[in-house]
Amino acid sequence: MRRRVTLPLLTIATVGASLFIAVAPASAHGYISSPPSRQANCARGAVANCGDIIYEPQSVEAPKGSTLCNGGGSRFAVLNDNSRNWPAASVGSSVTFNWVLTARHATSTWEYFIGGTRLASFNDGGAQPGATKSHTVGMGGFTGRQTVLARWNIADTINAFYSCVDVNIGGGPTTPPTTPPTTPPTTPPTTPPTQPPAGGTWQAGTAYGVGSVVTYGGASYSCRQAHTALTGWEPPNVPALWARI
Amino acid sequence: MRRLAAALLMLLALAGCAADPAPPPAAFNGTDVMFLQMSLDYIRQGEQVVELAGRRTADPRVRALITELGGQWQGEAGTMRRWLAGWRQPPSADPSAHAGHGDPHSLRAADIAELAAARGADFDRTAVSLLLGHLHNCVEVSRLEAAGGQYPPARALAETMTTHRQTQIQRLLTL
Repeated sequence: MRRRVTLPLLTIATVGASLFIAVAPASAHGYISSPPSRQANCARGAVANCGDIIYEPQSVEAPKGSTLCNGGGSRFAVLNDNSRNWPAASVGSSVTFNWVLTARHATSTWEYFIGGTRLASFNDGGAQPGATKSHTVGMGGFTGRQTVLARWNIADTINAFYSCVDVNIGGGPTTPPTTPPTTPPTTPPTTPPTQPPAGGTWQAGTAYGVGSVVTYGGASYSCRQAHTALTGWEPPNVPALWARI
Repeated sequence: MRRLAAALLMLLALAGCAADPAPPPAAFNGTDVMFLQMSLDYIRQGEQVVELAGRRTADPRVRALITELGGQWQGEAGTMRRWLAGWRQPPSADPSAHAGHGDPHSLRAADIAELAAARGADFDRTAVSLLLGHLHNCVEVSRLEAAGGQYPPARALAETMTTHRQTQIQRLLTL
């Protein structure tokens, strides 16, 4: 008796399982993890109040051809908001972008833009990416604070995956974003994130390059590894990142 | 579990006699089963990275993370297998049911081979990248369970797993 009546339960479970497959979003695929893209900065807590993107930085999928950081889709509009203090990574005149992939789909191209300028395109000819994917891209003479838009164009769908990476090219003093690759923000950035001037006070959420000098608790520290500071990473706590000077 | 099943059978029997044919609530649903099966598959795949990195990483931060992750996975997998056995469900999803679904989101043998072949800083970079992608997939399944599962302990486990994996993702993103 028990066995026989258990069967319908299992059937219910099996039917449920098929439903589960049907509703499981097949949307999650990839994003740029370093230098950190906007969604990576959300996921790692460097920028607060990003919404659901923190759980799925890999899901910024939308039809190909958009110049918006969220790809023009209905979700993740926070990524287009230039008024957020997106940390900008200090970089040189060429940058290696590393992708995290959660599904390795056949790829047509990988494209990189600053404003309307296409910096580079890599044609994979429909191949599946390997375990990792990275590209070294020249910054095309751009300097200062810029937003690089990267597009991963999938070969067998109409969609692409979008990642915007804020960079400070040349590592010098930053300038406010001039030509973001997005439609003009309704509220222009008032206080663009800046590299801390030498002798500035350490602050969570700031991107520090090697050699940056900060003060904290009355002592001075020199940055040993480029990173974006998080609460809990105060210089005395993380000798791997900061050397007391 | 057995007592619960017996109670359900009673309910089923009663429902059969009553005018109202509404089925009794099941103790678990398909989402619970899929969550457990897919998570067990993911853990089995991820353990390959943990095992390799445990032997070869030169970065103490990676080592600390995979030690923690490996320990948590071990505990989670034990619980998952116990529940599935209690429900008389197989411990792994039917591979044919997942053709075209689970596969592209899984770690492939080629990925593990690429990691094994990487040297020096490349090794750690590859391990971090693979783990990030993998943990995102784990979180995705956990969040589906937290939203659509029926068995309260499984939903609670999914929420704990989401929290732990998100913290680990945050750490990986800073390496």
